[in-house]
Amino acid sequence: MHHRFRPRRLARAALTVALAASSLVVAACGQYPNSIFHSRTDTNRDVGFLFEILIWFGSIVFVVVEAILIYTLVRFRRRGVARTPEHVHGNTTLEITWTIIPALILVFIAIPTVRTIFRTQAKPRSDALQVEVIGHQWWWEFRYPQFTMRSPTGKLDTVVTANELYLPQGRTVSFTLKSQDVIHSLSMPALSGKRDLITTHVNYLWFTPDSAQETAYNGFCAEYCGASHANMRFRTFVVSPSDFQSWIAHQESPAAFTVPAPGQTAANNTAAAQAPGGAQPQVPAGAQVQPNRNLNNGPLSGRATGTNGPTVPSAGAPGVGVPANAAPGTQTAVAQAGFIGFPRERMPAYTLPTTPVPADIQYSDPFGDPSRGAQLLMQGKGACLGCHTIRGNPSMIGQIGPNLTHIGSRTTLAAGLFPNDARHLALWIKNARKMKPGVLMPTIGVNEYDPQLGTTMKVGLTDQQIADIVAYLQALK
Amino acid sequence: MATTAAVPTYSGTSEHAETGLWSWLTTVDHKRIAALYLGTSLFWFLIGGIEATIIRAQLAFPNGKVVSAQVFNELFTMHGTTMIFLVVMPLSAAFFNLLIPLQIGARDVAFPRLNAFSYWVYLFGSIFLNVSWFIGSAPDGGWFGYTPLTTLAYSKNLNIDFWVLGLQILGVSSLAAGFNFITTIVNMRAPGMYFMRMPIFTWMAFIVQFLIVLAFPVITIALIFLQFDRFFGTNFYEIAQGGDPLLWQHLFWIFGHPEVYILILPAFGLVSEVLPTFSRKPLFGYPVMVYSGMLIAFLGFGVWAHHMFAVGMGPIADTVFGVTTMLIAIPTGVKIFNWIFTMWGGVLRFTTAMKFAITLVALFTVGGISGVMHASPPADLQQTDTYFIVAHFHYVLVAGSMMGLFAGVYYYFPKFTGRLLDETLGNWHFWLFFIGVNLTFFPMHFSGLYGMPRRIYRYDAGQGWELFNLLSSIGVAFQAVGTIIGFWNFWRSSKVGAIAGADPWGAPTLEWSIPSPPPDYNFATIPTVTSRYPLWDVKSPALTADVPPGVVDRGRGRTPPTIRIPTARELGIPMPNPSIKPLFAALFMTLMFASLIAIHKDKVQLAVALVIVFAGALTASLYAWLLTPLEDEH
Amino acid sequence: MSTTAVAHAHAGHPPTTTGLDHRKIAIWAFIGSECMLFASLISTYLIYKGRSVTGPFPHEWWCRATKATSAAGPIAGCPAGELFKPILNIPVTSQSTFVLLMSSLAMVLALAAVENNDKPGWAGPGWGGRLLESSKLWLLTTAILGAGFLCYQAYEFTSFIHEGLTIKTNLFGSSFFTLTGFHGAHVTAGVLWLLTLLAIDIKRGLGPRDALLVDISALYWHFVDVVWIAIFTLVYLIR
Repeated sequence: MHHRFRPRRLARAALTVALAASSLVVAACGQYPNSIFHSRTDTNRDVGFLFEILIWFGSIVFVVVEAILIYTLVRFRRRGVARTPEHVHGNTTLEITWTIIPALILVFIAIPTVRTIFRTQAKPRSDALQVEVIGHQWWWEFRYPQFTMRSPTGKLDTVVTANELYLPQGRTVSFTLKSQDVIHSLSMPALSGKRDLITTHVNYLWFTPDSAQETAYNGFCAEYCGASHANMRFRTFVVSPSDFQSWIAHQESPAAFTVPAPGQTAANNTAAAQAPGGAQPQVPAGAQVQPNRNLNNGPLSGRATGTNGPTVPSAGAPGVGVPANAAPGTQTAVAQAGFIGFPRERMPAYTLPTTPVPADIQYSDPFGDPSRGAQLLMQGKGACLGCHTIRGNPSMIGQIGPNLTHIGSRTTLAAGLFPNDARHLALWIKNARKMKPGVLMPTIGVNEYDPQLGTTMKVGLTDQQIADIVAYLQALK
Repeated sequence: MATTAAVPTYSGTSEHAETGLWSWLTTVDHKRIAALYLGTSLFWFLIGGIEATIIRAQLAFPNGKVVSAQVFNELFTMHGTTMIFLVVMPLSAAFFNLLIPLQIGARDVAFPRLNAFSYWVYLFGSIFLNVSWFIGSAPDGGWFGYTPLTTLAYSKNLNIDFWVLGLQILGVSSLAAGFNFITTIVNMRAPGMYFMRMPIFTWMAFIVQFLIVLAFPVITIALIFLQFDRFFGTNFYEIAQGGDPLLWQHLFWIFGHPEVYILILPAFGLVSEVLPTFSRKPLFGYPVMVYSGMLIAFLGFGVWAHHMFAVGMGPIADTVFGVTTMLIAIPTGVKIFNWIFTMWGGVLRFTTAMKFAITLVALFTVGGISGVMHASPPADLQQTDTYFIVAHFHYVLVAGSMMGLFAGVYYYFPKFTGRLLDETLGNWHFWLFFIGVNLTFFPMHFSGLYGMPRRIYRYDAGQGWELFNLLSSIGVAFQAVGTIIGFWNFWRSSKVGAIAGADPWGAPTLEWSIPSPPPDYNFATIPTVTSRYPLWDVKSPALTADVPPGVVDRGRGRTPPTIRIPTARELGIPMPNPSIKPLFAALFMTLMFASLIAIHKDKVQLAVALVIVFAGALTASLYAWLLTPLEDEH
Repeated sequence: MSTTAVAHAHAGHPPTTTGLDHRKIAIWAFIGSECMLFASLISTYLIYKGRSVTGPFPHEWWCRATKATSAAGPIAGCPAGELFKPILNIPVTSQSTFVLLMSSLAMVLALAAVENNDKPGWAGPGWGGRLLESSKLWLLTTAILGAGFLCYQAYEFTSFIHEGLTIKTNLFGSSFFTLTGFHGAHVTAGVLWLLTLLAIDIKRGLGPRDALLVDISALYWHFVDVVWIAIFTLVYLIR
């Protein structure tokens, strides 16, 4: 069987395959939400251009080398009676040729490379939005140092959030990257390349998101940082400048649920009692809808503090949502009307966590009372105050864990691992260490087995107490 | 067979004068030590492969539940550490041991007992490293062990202790072997074996020894700092005391990048032996191959920071390290073209060895191209720590190093055992492994470019990664089946394979002039070398043109011919005496390091006592070794 | 030296390619490797120089109570017991450096004595010549000077510990003790090596046949000396 071998046809076929492969890479971004080929920032467009050069040259070199190789293998395979091959020891012209051609290709790669290095590492615009990123095992702290406010005690506070990064469209954002413990790496492939968060060095990174689309992106930790490295994720929300202003204004406000005075009882919170389904373990993650604001109602006012009415979730959403943020008497003065968090119904599917919950955490799911929850925290139950801050709750001033002031408005829990709903929050409080290996957050549910200590907790919170705290935290929009 | 004055050949095989366990424990014969290296490193290849299989089982589907986060982290750490330090390096060392003396026309290495010591240190060190599995504390800091994650503050258990001590033990093995092989190559070449006549494998081995000797001290120091921090409370990587985690990264990668060439150059050398034989043509551009190897090694010391673009070194450093990294592509590309043009115009015989060798040429190219892509720092910031990198270095290390080493196993099996590997099983081994490698690692380019980070034990559904991960995991099944077939082939053929004879392939270099397996003294008379391809010169060109390929001879299970070849004593060749002392020295050294573990069990006095006892025993065995002459007086 | 090495080759072995003994090649490869070892240690010391967050410091006065440092002199107002002087004692270390350098001289004489052992009277007449011809004397002198250097180092280490600097105190302590400790360990190994040679010399006498044994130990010894020159310059002399 001797087919006539046609190298040209082979080369053409190979080129077609390579082109198809590279166009697959570029075209298929839709199904690949974390693809580096999304060009929705200036940085990613620069890098994308570089990648185009690299992929083209790479494909050409690949096709040429493999074509010559395959041609050689077919052409010179032993057939029938073997010839005596000529003992060629080398050829200077050829050697020089295949030294110079790769060198030239590398020049074509090196020049745009160096230009991109200097462009992407230039100083960011002076009017850039400043964001400080602090890596922790295993969560992200985002601080906005340009937005500060005085606490009631006169302390200067900064807008700070955890695992959710809000960025305005069209404005350059300049990150300052630090680490609290080990080395992490900030990775949001759809927006930009990575930078490490190093304990002893401050790193910088900047880019400008496009104005095209309000959406959410996934972020990851890319530097191996210990047991739960895989569980250190975050979400980036690119929103309109007005929504961003509105969000910042809300973040500047203290917790939207005042601590009841001692003696105040749960009975006061009739509103909460009437809202059914405060904790609905059966509701699937994606269906947790919290209609804080209907974005379809048209453009927002560009004002930071809206006047469109109270932020209490609409009563016309039966069966969903959490208890309203408390009875009228306990509401603080800040009635935030505008955009306070990315609307969950508009969260793209790829940003909805699918992490399974360990089957062996039992939770009886009692009805929770936010007021009682607030009191439990005040009393130091569960020792939450040792690590967490809730601005507006004078006893919650811990600095180790994420700031919980507006936890109710966040979309995910535990660094992007679970949806932020009552059930997951309760399970998380009850036994975080089963849900996220190695986590610092202690096991708080009584009689729960702590996989790190290897013991069952003799003291801790009951399901009822957890439900109360969950109700309180969920009220903190 | 032709016998000439220049290249004496024998027919038949030698009978080992001594057999049994004791002969293996005390052997100082480089060929037996090579066999020990081969067997041990192939065993660890199975272990490392099992680790990889579990990793891929866990990642086959989103949110996999095969293993816990901790076990997963231990698996990928030990998979990397095992494959690099317990498989590719010692498997290369098996060929250094077997081939360097044979290719340069020597009777052994320069220091036979030091050679045995190197092997025993490797064996005990590898066992020590893996003992950690049985006490539930396998290393979990990644093969790169970045501080501060590996300091006591963030890793309180024994995991990292095993890693720090284990790598130091293994470093001793590599360094001792490095001094030994450098001396052997410089000083034991047969008359006429000028440097530019040395077989290309020996050349690559020579370059690798320099890399080992110059790079291992650096990681030794980095590890000693970490060890001192963990055991003695020093501050090298202690953040609160001003210690800098980047010191570790720089020291590690000053070692780590030359290490990459330590892993690949031996395979390059083997392929450069296999391709000419089965093309029946000399290596194309021999001097260029030698100089490009040197250039790769030299540049390899100047590019370490390309592993660190994401740490933020500034645009100047990024530019310098990016461009020097691209430069390495030039000598590497030259090698690829030289290999292809070695085959061009030849008469190609597609034996299993040849198929593995061609695959290195074909697939290392893929790893080389993605390597150039990382060399561009802005692009690398998107690729680094994603599966794109995993794809890249597996194309280099599995499709490159392992393919080359398997080519070496198939090609040189006769020199280890006197028998040929079965070509039918070899064919299955090759094709399943070839398909498996590509199916496993090519999709990783895509999962990487689509943003999947490395070293994650679970990932969410809906990220666009499911298909690629599933393909990768299916690919591992192919690799596993191929490997099992290959290992069955190794085992079976070593017992009943066809008798190879001195030169089953019609190869050109000295090692094929002597029986398979060679007698303990290798060469009855030291040959005088007059060219790079002595056997092709000796045999007539007609012979060279159509050597009856050994593979045609399927005399499976045939007993070796009983032709007796003379012993060393009869020939008056002085042979080194067997010695158990290197084994004891290696054992006591390993135990001395291992004793430090007791410190972290709060038994400081016990640790001190054990270290003193074993250090004393080590010194005593060293004295006993050094004060005993290598050979009997003549 | 190389001619003696060749003479030592076993009759039954083919001559070496270079004409040198294997051990001579190996010791050079070993020294090359050791260069990278000490280069890593010295670089680390230099990188960490001035980055310690607490004293004592090598060249500055330090007051623990106020965390003040001064390159000029004692810090006024620092409570007793809280003031640390610059910890490096350059005069004493200069003495130990001199001792180590002299040991290299003795090593050269030891090698010369061994190489010329078969030529009685080669060093000239009189008791001076006889002294020069005694390989035992010079091996012993080298070992004693090496041990003397180690005594200086032991004194230095203990006085540093008394002055409040241990390997755990700060970055300077860690990098200093590790660097000089590693060098000290090399000197210790060298002294053991020399004493072993001395024992062989006493037992059966070392002659030109054994010159290689002394030659490679001398190479090692001189290398360790040269490393110390680098350490002394970079750690002690340069501020």
